Amino acid sequence: MESLLYLVLAGLMTGAIYALVAIGFTLLWQTSQTINFAQGEFAMLPAFFMLVALNLKLPLWLAILLGVGVSILLLGLAFKRLLVDPMLRHGVLPLAIATMALAIFLKESVKEFYSAEAQRFPSLFPEQKVDVGGAMISIQSIGVFLVAIAAVVALQLFLSRTRTGRSMQAVAQNPTVARILGVPVERMILLTFAINAALVALASALVTPIYLAKFSNGEVLGMAAFVAAIVGGFNQIRGAIAGGFLLGIVDNIAAAYVSTQYRAAIPLLILIVVIMVRPQGLLGRAEERTV
Amino acid sequence: MATDAPSAPAPPPQATPPLVPAKAILELDGVVAGYGRTTILHGVSFTVKQGAITTVIGPNGAGKSTVFKVVFGLLRAREGKVRFDGRDITNVEPRRLLSLGLCYVPQGRNVFPELSVRHNLDLAGVAAGSGIDFPARIAAAMERFPMLRSKADRQASTLSGGEQKILEIARGLLLDPKLVLIDEPSIGLSPLMVQEVFAVLAELRAKGVTVLMIEQNAKSALGLSDQAIVLELGRTRHQDSAAAILADPRIGQLFLGGAMGQTAPHVVDAPPLA
Repeated sequence: MESLLYLVLAGLMTGAIYALVAIGFTLLWQTSQTINFAQGEFAMLPAFFMLVALNLKLPLWLAILLGVGVSILLLGLAFKRLLVDPMLRHGVLPLAIATMALAIFLKESVKEFYSAEAQRFPSLFPEQKVDVGGAMISIQSIGVFLVAIAAVVALQLFLSRTRTGRSMQAVAQNPTVARILGVPVERMILLTFAINAALVALASALVTPIYLAKFSNGEVLGMAAFVAAIVGGFNQIRGAIAGGFLLGIVDNIAAAYVSTQYRAAIPLLILIVVIMVRPQGLLGRAEERTV
Repeated sequence: MATDAPSAPAPPPQATPPLVPAKAILELDGVVAGYGRTTILHGVSFTVKQGAITTVIGPNGAGKSTVFKVVFGLLRAREGKVRFDGRDITNVEPRRLLSLGLCYVPQGRNVFPELSVRHNLDLAGVAAGSGIDFPARIAAAMERFPMLRSKADRQASTLSGGEQKILEIARGLLLDPKLVLIDEPSIGLSPLMVQEVFAVLAELRAKGVTVLMIEQNAKSALGLSDQAIVLELGRTRHQDSAAAILADPRIGQLFLGGAMGQTAPHVVDAPPLA
């Protein structure tokens, strides 16, 4: 049995990854009512883009950079233009269903055209472990945590300190008024899709060295991000962050103290309790429906 | 349309009479528009005189707000023309209209609730030209409305309804518009706040800014206005000086839901306005 401290620290690492994926999920919902059920697959696929680059004997840093770039093009811009725009005209639900189909398509494509076997993926960080207050934590975990946190902080600073970031917030809070003030609403929405793609690609590069690259990775990540976003409040980025960390920690503790078999049920249990007790989420606000 | 002929009766004493015959800054000519298959505007035509306050009145469903949305490029005109300052602006994007000198303050709450008051103001800068010292303009707006300065770092959602309206108006004025479209500015505000908002509109007129407003509080709005336009069922029913409209007994009837042409005896001598 691992120490509680170790489990919390490991939970923070997992939680930081969940938060990255959940933030993007929340961003897409806020700016364009897109519930992306392929979000997990979006975090699975970039690792394969990077593997293709690695197979061409490119260095890891360049492979990651290329993977992020290709993700922004395909999972950001092409996703928005080719799937979201045409489907959203028919409503939020048809789009949500289309993203489920996309999830299956991406998963099966990787299985068919790359491999059904888990692939090793090199890490940016060394293998050694360090002593953190008695718990032996790998430098890998600490590195993953710090990079994820840096990305979250950078995103928050961008959203709150720059006029472009605040324009994105304005589009999320009231698109009509944003348009009346001359905010280029369409461009801001496209930017959210690009940011989401960059976040999931980063999550992919961080998590795959630990879990290996496999077509089914998105199932766990997607569910975790979905639950984290809803538990946190769905319409709040800070809610997605809190939800991500909560889930990461509970996930690790449950695996150790409850049972590994019931591990996957714990997030869903949290989800049910939150929806019953506090339907707007931990940090969310009740959404108003206008028209 | 000959409704803005110079033979119109003198404006009410509250209104500043124009020294020279004012030119039209905004002209609508046969505007047809609607949502989906529903047509709301069946050919709206009117002119708005430069430097005056003009109020659009009419019963619910007359298409008052729809006219504003068409003028500001938020809803396509299927037919007809909109001209602003001699230029055709039919179906032009809001972003471009802002740079031409139009500004639109819609009905209801239009602040970004989770941004601070300062950042709400700052967002108007996205449409500002490069030569504009925007921080200086925000400072000047805070000078004019000290509430905006004392609450600059508060979330806009914490402001009262009246304060939010002041914020919206101040934000709209940051780009120095020539024409302000304002839809139901008094709705949901305390009488004191309504007075303040109307005072701001009068101040704008004194500076030569044209104001076109929709107001359910028609009596006080007409009292402040120089001109009035009566819309009914998506058509211009009447355009005249505000005083003449205010004195017209049929107006009260219009607000009770009847048609202007009807002459049912029990509504002929209804009070002019609610």
